[in-house]
Order: sequence, then structure tokens, then C-alpha cells
Amino acid sequence: MDELLQALVQGFFVGSAYGLLALGMGLVYGVSGIVNFAHGDFVSLGMYLCFALFTAFALDPYVSVIFTVPIMIALGALVYRFLIKPIAGRQLLMVIQLTLGVALLIQNGLMMVFGGQPTRAPSMIESKLFLVGDVVIRGAHLVACIVSFALAILLYVMLQSTDTGRAIRAVQQEPRAAALMGVDVGRVQVMTFAIGVGVLAIAAALLLPGLPIQPTQGLRFTVITLLVFVLGGMTNFVAIMLGGIVIGVAEAIGTIYMTHTLGQLLPYLIFVAIMLFRPQGLVWRS
Amino acid sequence: MRPDFWPALRSPFPWIILAFAATMPFLLPNYYLHILTITLVYAALASAWNIVGGIAGQISLAHSLFVGAGAMLASALLVKLGVNMWLGMVIAAAASAAMGAAVSFIDYRFRLGHLSFALITMAFAEMAEIYVTNTEFLGGASGLFLPKDKGDILAFQFGGISGVYWIMLAMTTLCVVVNFAILSSPLGYNLRSIRDNENAAQAIGVGLLRNKTLAMTISAVLTSIVGTIYARYLAFVDPYLLVSPVLTIEIVLFATVGGLGTALGPAVGAFLLAPLGEILRGHLGGFLPGLHYFVYGLVVVGVIMLMPAGVWPSIRARIARKSVQEARAS
Repeated sequence: MDELLQALVQGFFVGSAYGLLALGMGLVYGVSGIVNFAHGDFVSLGMYLCFALFTAFALDPYVSVIFTVPIMIALGALVYRFLIKPIAGRQLLMVIQLTLGVALLIQNGLMMVFGGQPTRAPSMIESKLFLVGDVVIRGAHLVACIVSFALAILLYVMLQSTDTGRAIRAVQQEPRAAALMGVDVGRVQVMTFAIGVGVLAIAAALLLPGLPIQPTQGLRFTVITLLVFVLGGMTNFVAIMLGGIVIGVAEAIGTIYMTHTLGQLLPYLIFVAIMLFRPQGLVWRS
Repeated sequence: MRPDFWPALRSPFPWIILAFAATMPFLLPNYYLHILTITLVYAALASAWNIVGGIAGQISLAHSLFVGAGAMLASALLVKLGVNMWLGMVIAAAASAAMGAAVSFIDYRFRLGHLSFALITMAFAEMAEIYVTNTEFLGGASGLFLPKDKGDILAFQFGGISGVYWIMLAMTTLCVVVNFAILSSPLGYNLRSIRDNENAAQAIGVGLLRNKTLAMTISAVLTSIVGTIYARYLAFVDPYLLVSPVLTIEIVLFATVGGLGTALGPAVGAFLLAPLGEILRGHLGGFLPGLHYFVYGLVVVGVIMLMPAGVWPSIRARIARKSVQEARAS
């Protein structure tokens, strides 16, 4: 029972960070219809930026977010404006290929700069543990959970009640009508992609404490993000956060209760099942 | 068969090129022959993928499943049960065909869109890697070592690099010819109509399940056989190389760079990129690991931006334009 509770709590916390990863993807997909296969490599890049700031100035990953977020936002804007935009609207495969190309560039750029050995960027709260009842809560997980939900709510409020948010939703619903109403669709698309990548800088810092990083990890994050993204019906914010938690809990429970292989396979099995039998995601779209 | 298939076979050029390629083991030192062999492996894989990904437009990311079956299953049958590798190759190809047909059936039954199909096949590829690296019979995470190559053809041994080179040359040629044959046959027209508009294709009577399954099965069998030969050549069968989703990504990149949906494009792409990658890795991999993939990334992004149809169609269009201009000038 304690084990189960522990797994649930840990899965919930880690899953909320997964949800945050997928929010960026959902935002971009809704506005531009693009699935970014370099998503996980942008997370990787965010982590290595934190690592570089740590080795150079001994900055805590949580503090270095002040610098990494603007860098990643600028990078996201540039990638969208100069690489994705010229070919957006062509065949889906072309865009997937292009983002795979970008993934190769980031992954191996990191490999060339930082080498292939796993490294870590420690944080001051990494070793902090809280005991609630019999459940051990790691400080980093708690921070990840709180920040993820805060950011998700912030994004939601931004989308609902600012002009920028309304423009984004308008483009999501009907780009042509939005353009006729005076929304600069191109600008909104660049902006959402930049925001989507900027959010990853934060998610990277949240996932970083205690995690050994290496340049080749990007694809793993991309796959986790895709799982959550599909589980959440691709654009529904609430469902995406929920999907993150489902995957997080499935991972935690799988590693405790099942054989090693099955535990690792569980998230993918859930993914395939959802994809086939409920392609609209876990929650009906309102 | 479209009428230009047979004349193309009768034309002397492909045969001259093939005969020239066959003399390579006598001309090249082993290092370059190795690069050429690897290139042929990738050219064959990219051509086989093209049947599904290019001609039929189904973005399958599950081809590492078929390479893996060909390599791991055939090797495991030999090492663990002593099954002759020729038989192992056939069993693995049959297993790949079954998996390919199953994937096609799921695609048909649930009417997956392009994106869903790509995502599901990617999930299958990830699951395959996890499964193989955790299964003792298939070599687990540490892989399998094949017995030494003594040149016994009956035991699937080709006597070192020259033999493998020749068998791969034949296999790559087969893959390209199959592409060419499909493009000039009714199947090719059906697949292309499915690629361009599935609903319209179905409305005019193109059987989705039949055509998709046929394309996927042919592609899976070819891929699996190449996997078995590749495994024999490598002698150490590493699941993190042969069942890795990264392998599929490489195949897809080569095919796209060369030109999707054309008979020769994917092979051209492999001949452009694979030697480049091998040479960069050989000469600079020591102090700059990752450089060759970085260059792949640059080439892929560049080609997609500048020649979205791929290198081979662009070259062909340019030649055609020039010959028209020359005809006008004369």
C-alpha cells in the first residue's frame, strides 16, 4: 500500500512536468498544425544551457532559467521564421523531416560541444526530502509539480483573457477568418512556436535536478511528449496535463509492480490503445 | 507493366554500371570497400522503405522492426538453436511480412491519418527496442556474436567483405528494380492514388487494405533480408544499432534527401550521405563525435529548403530542361 501511494505521488509529480512538456507541443500544433520532432532536443538544449551556466558561473539550474528562457524563445522564433515557415503547409512528411534534421543538428551540436559522457547539473534542493505520512517527497519533484501547474494556469489565463491569447485561439480555430479580422497569422505562428520552445527551457530546469543528462536523450523526451500530447487529444490544455499525469503514474507503477520489460512497455501500450480506440484523447472536446 | 519498363532493362547503361560496380572488390582497398558495402546496405534499406513511405506515402517509422527481425531473429535462431541462417533469413522475412501486414491492417481498420500512422509506428519501434534488449533469446542488451565467416555459402557465409559486397550489390539492385517495377505496374498507380487522396482512391475502386498490405509486405520482406545480410557482415549483432528507431530515422532521411517516390532517388540519397557520414566518422569521429550526424542534419535541412522534391528529381528536371534548351538552339 505504501509502495502504491509512493508510486502514485511520484508519478503525479513527474507527470505534471511531462504535461508541461506537451503543452508547448499542443500549443504549436493547434496554431500551425506542426508536430515538432525536435521537441525533446530543445529540452536537451535547455538542460545543457543550464549545465553550461552551472559550470561557468555555478548558477543553480532554477536561477539560470532567467537566462535560458529568453535564449530559447529567440531560438524558437528564428527556427520557425527561417526554417519551418517556408515549408509549412507542404506535405506533412517534409515538416517532420525538417524537424528531425533540426533534432540531429541540436543533438550532435551538443555532442560536439559537451561530449557524449553523461553529466549532471546539481541543484541546491536536489537532496531535500519531505516526509508526508509514509510517503517520501523529493524537493525537486515538488517544485516541478507546483511550477508546472502554475505555468499551465498562467498559459491558460493568457490564452483566455489577453489580446495575444485571443489572437492565438482565433488562428487555432480558423486562420483565414482570423487573418480577415486583422490578426497577423504569421506573427502569431512565430510567437506560439517561440513560446512553446521557451516553456521547454523552464521544463528542462524542472526535470534537471537528479537526472544525468547526455546529448542523445532528446528522442526519449520527444517520445514521452508525443505520448502525452496524443493522450491529451492534441490541443485540449486540461486533457494534456491529465495525460501527463497518466503517463507519469503509468511509468511509476510499471516500474514497481510489473516485470522490468512490461513496466517499460506500459506507457507505449497505453499510447497505442488510446490512439486506436480513443483518437480524440482522454477527454471529450467541449 | 508500363511499356518503358522492359526497354529500360534492355538498355545497356544499367548493365554497364552494374558490371563496373561488380569489379570494385578488385580495385578498391578494404576500407573503401567497407564504406561502399555500408552504402549499399543503406541504399537497399532506403529503396525498400520508399515503397511504403515514398510511393504509397505512408510515413512508416517502424522499419527498424523489420531490420531488427532480419538481423536479431535470424542470428538468434543460428546462435541459440543452430538453425541454418538461410532458413533463419526466410523465417525472419516471414515474421517481418506478418508484422508488416498487421501494421497495415491496423492502419486500415482504424483509418489512421498520416500523423497517427507515423506516431503509432514510432511507438512500435520504441517497444521493439525495449522488447529485444530485454529478451535473452534475442541476445538481450549485449547482442549476439555470429560464428566466424569461413566462406561457406551453404551456411550464409560469403567469405569476407568481397562476398558481402557482391551479395549486397545484388540485393540493392533487386530493391531498386522492385521499386521500378512497382512504379510501372498497376500497383504503383494504385499506391500513388492512395498517397494523393485516400478517399478519392477508394471511391474509384482502389482497394485500400489490399494495396497497402501488399506494399508494406514487399517492403518488410526486402528490409528483413537486408537486415540478415547486414548482421552477417557485422558479425556482432548490436540491438542498439539494428533495432534502434534512429536507424529508421536515418533511412527516412536518406530517402527524402534523394527523392521520395522515385525509383532511384532513395539509392541516390544513400550514395550521397552514407559515404559522407562514414568518412567523417572515420576521420573526425575520434575528436569530434557527433560531427557526421551534424552534417547529415545540415544536408537534410538544406535539401528540404532548397530542393523539397529531393536531389534526384531536381537533377533530372535540370537535365530535361537543358536538353530542351539545346534542342531549341539547334
